[in-house]
Amino acid sequence: MSKPFFTVYCLVIYAFLLAPILVVVGASFNAGAFLTFPPQGLSFRWYGVFFNNEVFMRAIRTSLWIAAVTTVISGIIGTMAAIFYVQHSGKLKETVRIAMLAPLLLPEVLTAISLLFFVYSIGVGTQTMVGMIVGHVLITLPFVFINVSASMESYDPAWSMAAQSLGAGRFTRFRRIMLPLIKPGVIGGCLFAFIISFDIFTISFMLKNVGTSTLPIQLFDYLRTNFTPEAAAVSTCSIVLTLVVVVVSEKVLGLRIHRF
Amino acid sequence: MTEVSIEQLTKDYGQGPAVDGISVRIAEGEFISLLGPSGCGKTTTLKMIAGFEDATRGAIRFDGRDVVHVPVEKRDIGMVFQNYALFPHMTVERNLAFGLEMRKIPKTEIRDRIAKVLDMVQLTGYAERYPRQLSGGQQQRVALARALVIEPKILLLDEPLANLDAKLREEMRVFIRDLQRRVGITTVYVTHDQAEAMTMSDRVVVMFGGRIAQIGAPSDIYERPANLEVAEFVGQVNIVRGKVVNSIVSTPLGDVPVVGHYADGADITLALRPEAVELLPVTAGVAGVPAKVLSSYYSGSLVDYRLELANGTIVNVQTFPRTRFRDGETVLVHAPADRFWPLGSVA
Repeated sequence: MSKPFFTVYCLVIYAFLLAPILVVVGASFNAGAFLTFPPQGLSFRWYGVFFNNEVFMRAIRTSLWIAAVTTVISGIIGTMAAIFYVQHSGKLKETVRIAMLAPLLLPEVLTAISLLFFVYSIGVGTQTMVGMIVGHVLITLPFVFINVSASMESYDPAWSMAAQSLGAGRFTRFRRIMLPLIKPGVIGGCLFAFIISFDIFTISFMLKNVGTSTLPIQLFDYLRTNFTPEAAAVSTCSIVLTLVVVVVSEKVLGLRIHRF
Repeated sequence: MTEVSIEQLTKDYGQGPAVDGISVRIAEGEFISLLGPSGCGKTTTLKMIAGFEDATRGAIRFDGRDVVHVPVEKRDIGMVFQNYALFPHMTVERNLAFGLEMRKIPKTEIRDRIAKVLDMVQLTGYAERYPRQLSGGQQQRVALARALVIEPKILLLDEPLANLDAKLREEMRVFIRDLQRRVGITTVYVTHDQAEAMTMSDRVVVMFGGRIAQIGAPSDIYERPANLEVAEFVGQVNIVRGKVVNSIVSTPLGDVPVVGHYADGADITLALRPEAVELLPVTAGVAGVPAKVLSSYYSGSLVDYRLELANGTIVNVQTFPRTRFRDGETVLVHAPADRFWPLGSVA
């Protein structure tokens, strides 16, 4: 492929992927009463409506809270699983990998229904967030696992051995040697977990308690009966929120990959 | 300084022993090499001394104290790995400080000790560099410094020169040996390179198939190898077989008197190093066995000849290139009787 053609090709792909997002963002600045694009006049009117809509604000808080808890749990379990997978699984390596990726291979709706039966049969039910969080962890775990195991593949076990020979115990070896060196994978995996959890619909829909709802559910609910640009404002806010999470983690925690 | 004593050490992974009941006593401050081909158990032995592998049986004593059940991090060892294993996210200084921090050494002392050890490995001024900014030889020296700065009981080196180019390897041999002498630390060095083992060690432990074939000073190993395997592994060798008659073995290279308890008629194998043989031009009045030059390989300071005797025996000879013989030329081979070394009965 010639270079100018390739450039155009890339631009077209990007346009195809990003156009819907731009449409949503554009529509959110609508001054009119209907969700249209191009917008009829520019205004922040629907943002005001959204920020004063207690139902949406509560849904956003719930979503953020669930995403945060999911990220922590998924991050810890997924990282441990990836370390085991790369360094210790031996002959079981392939089995471990498939087991870890299984949630990706099954349709989400099946996982959701199975979980619903499961949480009721063990008596946990959906009165608490436990079932929902278990579901979110299940769906996000493979992303942490894939990212961290990719980092682990370039981790030389001799680094841990060297640290051990210098007197470092198990925990110190992990905290001072392994973790800093696989950090890009861990952070990348956690970002995926956060964003995907924030976005999950089916699992949340099945396992939510009566009366609570996450942002995607609330948005869906809203669009069934309304067609105002408020929905676009909500979407735009969640896009911005996602971007903020990515940028802040990059700046604060450092996604910079160590090159040797 | 620490004396290390290994007794009946065995490692069995389940399909026959990888290390089979080896015993060796390493004196305080001694530099000992474990030499052998890959799979001979030398690295497994080193890992057991370090604690990375559990011993199936046997004891490892540091100054009389059995450390078999002491975990690596409490064994107080300094180890240099084949690929150096420097922490890539830390500067040289942080790498060196790591072991000292684990030992809760005060900050000021850490600084002093790092300065001292950097001076020792001639890397003063490199403290702020990252490992990736250093050459292979420099990384090697940082790895050595990191192992030594904690003042461990023993220093363990696992083929540390394997990744360096030939010239640097020779420099590092001398460097490590001098450093070890200066520090006076008991050292175990694993290598498959016989030249490395010979030039650096006080004693060499030659291992085959998980067992010790011979322990001795480099000159013992080379000049008086215990068996055919050792003789062939440590340098080039001509193998000559013959029968003992009246304590004399007749060989194509002349009669060799053998001392010791050899019965008449016993088959015996003799080892003859290529550089022990002299080559002389064919002139009247000179004693020697005539041979034809098949090929010669000139390597600057030495020439290797491949010769064929009248009865078809091939003899390898190494000489200084003062007199050169041409391929196809007939020469006289003179092998002094005292340079043959008996390897025991024919295997």
